[in-house]
Amino acid sequence: MKKGLTVLLVVGLLFTISLNIFAQDDIELTIAGGAVGEELQLTQKAAEIFEEKHPGVSVEVLSTPDLANDRLGLYLQFLEAESPNVDVYQVDVIWPGDLAQHFLDLYEYGAEEVADEHFQAIVENNTVDGKLVAMPWFTDAGLLYYRQDLLDKYDLELPETWEELERAAKTIQTGERAAGNQDFWGFVWQGNAYEGLTCDALEWIHSNGGGTIVNSDKEITIYNEKAVAAVEMAGNWVGHISPPGVTGMAEEDARKVWEAGNAAFMRNWPYAYSLGNQEGKVIAGKYDVAPLPAGDSGNGSATLGGWNLAASKYSDNPKWAAKLALFMAGEEVQKLRATEGSFNPTIKDLYEDEDVLKANPFFGKLYDVFTNAVARPSTQTAPQYNQTSELFFQAVHNVLTGEEDADSALAYLELDLQDLLDYPIAD
Amino acid sequence: MSRNNSSDLAKEEQRLAYKLLIPAFLILIIIAIYPLGQVFYSSFTDREFASSKETSFIGLQNYDKLLSLTIKKLPAEIDEETGQKIINPDTGKVEYENPIRVLPRKPYLYRPLQEFNLFGNRYVIGSADTDFIKSLYNTLVFTIVSVLLETILGLGIALVVNSEFKGRGMMRAVMLVPWAVITVVSARMWEWMFEPSRIGLFNMLFEKIGLTEGNTAFLSMSEYQLPSLIAVDVWKTTPFMALLILAGLQLIPNELYEAAEVDGANKVKQFFNITLPLLKPSLAVALIFRTLDALRVFDVFQVMLAQKRYSMASYNYFQLISGRNMGMASAIGVIIFILIFVFALLYIKVLGVETE
Repeated sequence: MKKGLTVLLVVGLLFTISLNIFAQDDIELTIAGGAVGEELQLTQKAAEIFEEKHPGVSVEVLSTPDLANDRLGLYLQFLEAESPNVDVYQVDVIWPGDLAQHFLDLYEYGAEEVADEHFQAIVENNTVDGKLVAMPWFTDAGLLYYRQDLLDKYDLELPETWEELERAAKTIQTGERAAGNQDFWGFVWQGNAYEGLTCDALEWIHSNGGGTIVNSDKEITIYNEKAVAAVEMAGNWVGHISPPGVTGMAEEDARKVWEAGNAAFMRNWPYAYSLGNQEGKVIAGKYDVAPLPAGDSGNGSATLGGWNLAASKYSDNPKWAAKLALFMAGEEVQKLRATEGSFNPTIKDLYEDEDVLKANPFFGKLYDVFTNAVARPSTQTAPQYNQTSELFFQAVHNVLTGEEDADSALAYLELDLQDLLDYPIAD
Repeated sequence: MSRNNSSDLAKEEQRLAYKLLIPAFLILIIIAIYPLGQVFYSSFTDREFASSKETSFIGLQNYDKLLSLTIKKLPAEIDEETGQKIINPDTGKVEYENPIRVLPRKPYLYRPLQEFNLFGNRYVIGSADTDFIKSLYNTLVFTIVSVLLETILGLGIALVVNSEFKGRGMMRAVMLVPWAVITVVSARMWEWMFEPSRIGLFNMLFEKIGLTEGNTAFLSMSEYQLPSLIAVDVWKTTPFMALLILAGLQLIPNELYEAAEVDGANKVKQFFNITLPLLKPSLAVALIFRTLDALRVFDVFQVMLAQKRYSMASYNYFQLISGRNMGMASAIGVIIFILIFVFALLYIKVLGVETE
């Protein structure tokens, strides 16, 4: 019996070893990326270019869930198991602090030379204890999409404040419904209970002068009049200028309503720009983008988004994993993604590139929006950003669905955050 | 001499039996007992998921936080000038202090769960983890209502397909289709039907017959969330229930009905005096299966409601993934385990399913 077991073990071991030997000439890499809009196709395209350049290397693209929280869940399972199955991860701008221990220091793999070409703020965001744990891939900022044709039709100006937006949305909505489009709504955005709502709500609050939930001195600032007013304002949109279903909408849901021609305004990331202009879409050529409206602060605010590429420490081929991450974040691929998918490059020079500007005329015009975007409080609250954000979006979501009023929701949020983070409350 | 021999043989056989049991036992240890023990153990720690942070033993603190409840009396708001209770001019009711000022904040922050009136006083129930208590409530309501409906409908369907009619075999196969669809897929399908605009089937129908304006957000409004999920589950699992009950029905010998017929018992009497009592064992098995399944419901909640509303299992998932609180998540897992255990015992006692 014992002997049989030994034989079995030896055979099994030999089998595994021989498999490894045969696998050696072919390097297989896996990159885990998003599939929002055209993301997946573009990543596959870039992977093919990489395969052409390096014969004997094959790159597989693993498509991951659309919602950032779900994607994080998937990654954590790979990372907890120290799995070599994924070599390169596409990580949100809010994760590097939390996940740094699982990633390679890209400075050790030649990132030194290229890091300067990227936006400094993002490189800093991705640097943890002097290690560059992720390469900036594309940056994002919330934008206001508006239907130029409808503004003209109703003789309206592009709204610059939230109040103007509300009025314009109401006017267009009433008019379009009277004209027979019963499913028309004024303004669509991301109101589901998830990270996207944190981004949207931060924009309302920050533009209204209500701060950034937790300030950079690690004080909790969320419970203030301006913030309450901003959340209250959004709560009143639901069922008024925004569909009741907005409290279940993520980016792609909002885009669907928008591309069906059923919304006058949309808050979304830049990726929706080139998609709406594709041939055959009803809204092609009828819209443009602008900075988000301002509140009491006098300025509009856009939440900083964007994704980065990190090479896993548990990869079987760390050298190749880092190489793939650097290639994907390099100028060639970023340009491809900018021209074909309007993903904002993180390389400064590309904002002066003719082809990029031709495909995305708004890149030049909105350069300031991208460079001045408001970061979510992920550094101040690390490693508890996710819980902070969850408490925040749950509180806002309760207001949107009418379960709580804005004042008591934020009052509790303040106490909850104090309980979680142990930070003082700002005066 | 011979007796000695036989006992030797028996011992030898016994030893062989033990040896033969070893592989099965090993597998059981590896795949069941070890993980279970691990979960029990980590529920007493503050372990963080996918992190190298040092783990420390914190005893029952996770359970304490999850299950802590408190009841406090809410004082009425007093007008400082007159010393009278403030009456809300709109509703004509007494205004009470905001629970935030009454509920304790140490060692955990208590949030209001429910307010109620008793003997003219107003009280508030506070909980240290309202999400968990609510998820417990959601799961129980979901389980009780969906299993009840499934049993009734399943029984009806089983009785129908048990009777003689043309195309019965076909009917029995078709009946199983919803059950064969993967839950995540069917949840997505229903999600489309529940779309909050007229793209969705239900909104379109309700608008056509003039019930609503066609903009009902079934999955965002708290009053529609549980009914929607229960509808999905009933649609999906009734066939399974019907199948189990059908198997039970076929065990009942036809002679009994013939005898009852001769004795002059009508159909209703036959059902309550013959069918139901003889069906009890299979009904009990079906109920146990469904209840235990429903108690750990995850997929429907996760796909259709995500973080809007939790079941116990989906709250467990979010504690683990978003919160990365492995210790806390383990404690929730243990609570689900115990709850299911209690339900199983209860069923066995009440329905008298013995292992004979």
